[in-house]
Amino acid sequence: MTRPARTVRHRQAAVVGIHALPFSKSIGMTERRAGALAILGALADAGLEVADVDAMYRFVWENTTEMEMARILGVENLRAFGEVDYGGGAGAPTIAHAAIAIENSLADVVVCWRARNRSSGGRPWASQLHAVGQDQFERPYHIVRPVDGMALHTRFWIEKYGWQPEDLGRVAVTQRQHARRNPAALMQKPMTMDDYLASRLIADPLRLFDCCLETDAAMAMVLTTAERAADLRTPPAYVTGFGMGSGPQMTAMTFFYGEELGATPSRWVAPELWRNTGLRPADIDVVQFYDAFTPQIPLGFEEYGFCKEGEGPAFMQSSACPLYNTSGGGLSEAYVHGFNLLVEGVRQVRGTSTTQAPNVRHSLVTSGNVVPTGAIVFSKEPW
Amino acid sequence: MSVGDPGFPIPVPDQDTRPFWDGCRRGELLIQRCGACGKWLWQPRPICSSCQTPDPTWTQVSGDGAIASWTVLRPPTLPAFAAMVPFVVLLVTLDEGVRLLGYLVDDAGRVLTTDGGAEGVRTGRRVRLRFHDQAGTILPCWTLAD
Ligand SMILES: [Zn+2]
Repeated sequence: MTRPARTVRHRQAAVVGIHALPFSKSIGMTERRAGALAILGALADAGLEVADVDAMYRFVWENTTEMEMARILGVENLRAFGEVDYGGGAGAPTIAHAAIAIENSLADVVVCWRARNRSSGGRPWASQLHAVGQDQFERPYHIVRPVDGMALHTRFWIEKYGWQPEDLGRVAVTQRQHARRNPAALMQKPMTMDDYLASRLIADPLRLFDCCLETDAAMAMVLTTAERAADLRTPPAYVTGFGMGSGPQMTAMTFFYGEELGATPSRWVAPELWRNTGLRPADIDVVQFYDAFTPQIPLGFEEYGFCKEGEGPAFMQSSACPLYNTSGGGLSEAYVHGFNLLVEGVRQVRGTSTTQAPNVRHSLVTSGNVVPTGAIVFSKEPW
Repeated sequence: MSVGDPGFPIPVPDQDTRPFWDGCRRGELLIQRCGACGKWLWQPRPICSSCQTPDPTWTQVSGDGAIASWTVLRPPTLPAFAAMVPFVVLLVTLDEGVRLLGYLVDDAGRVLTTDGGAEGVRTGRRVRLRFHDQAGTILPCWTLAD
């Protein structure tokens, strides 16, 4: 079924505030406190106050509910709220829900945040010993860590497409270079291809340097109407559009029981994104692809249509390839379930990235691609 | 490891999945097949996802199949698995078309401590069903067929 381009065009959302607490291995405060401070920082960035806030959306596995956060901050009333599921898939969909609330006049000032002590708080997979649902057929074999499922996908992609270890190594090395220009990034040590190739295997064919960091982080974003954004202090990053998708027969992180092995939900998100934004890949000036693991970058270029299936690594060495994961991303800046990618996507529109792409009109950010997921485009100009 | 040792993740069957685990304890691999449209279904579910007919039929299969993908798991693992590393987990496409996970085991169902190199593990190789007793949980696993 072909759907029309978006019809809601009279009221656009824009990101007007962003903020991050310093990333660390141990932030030394509760996620509740860190999240609240990040939200206050993002409101201050926008020149808005708690009294302006009338909606909140959060990721799943955010231990502070939007009710509790609103109570702590003193928000008078939440006119819209919600929690978006699927871990790393939740990033762009969370911001999309905020934009939907604004576009449909449910709310005027929406706060989204991510505060998670993923480093000091321990690994969630280490304590989940009673396996229910899909997990009962996976966890008993130690398909437990996110890397375990991703390794089975990656073997398939490597063998089908002929990817070489250096193809994934270039992702890690490139993002480390970006991180070293970004004072906020945790990983400042140089990384060469030899360093990458010498890093130990964790779940073959994936190595330590194919994997993201484990970070304590708190970040927030404030959205409002394009009309109100015009009066605020920061240059707005307009939400041009977004897409979401699960694909068929989805199981989180182990999307390989369906008939087509190797596809990820991004393949289903991409047509929704391009229809919803009215853009094409060639219109995108800079990208932040969800990067819990290196293979998600070449696959992202393929599945979002920047190049043909299997040609991601070659495309990434061509002059047509846009700058990607310019803060260092999950691999080398911080792992925040992709919230740092969203914030960096906004910085690219503002022109304030430490690895700034030239003349950014449209900035793409995607979310985790082996879970139900989404993607969003922030733009310099309104509709 | 004693029976029920909490160190390994333990499957918690429910009404929709219990026949699978009961079958494993009898040494039978049971996969659901729709009685109306013939579709093989994995993971277990109460209705056919192709034609929505309730109660797909639990059907014993040989477990013969081929390796669709595989990985070698290495530290850091859950503590219970630390003595096994490195070990191989296979994604196997059964001849019926569904894909299941399982350890690479020897002919007696023992998990092999290996990176798969000596055994020549590779995508496409044929495998046969074995069952492995993991601290009292009977798990379908696979051994190389030739
Ligand atoms: Zn059927």
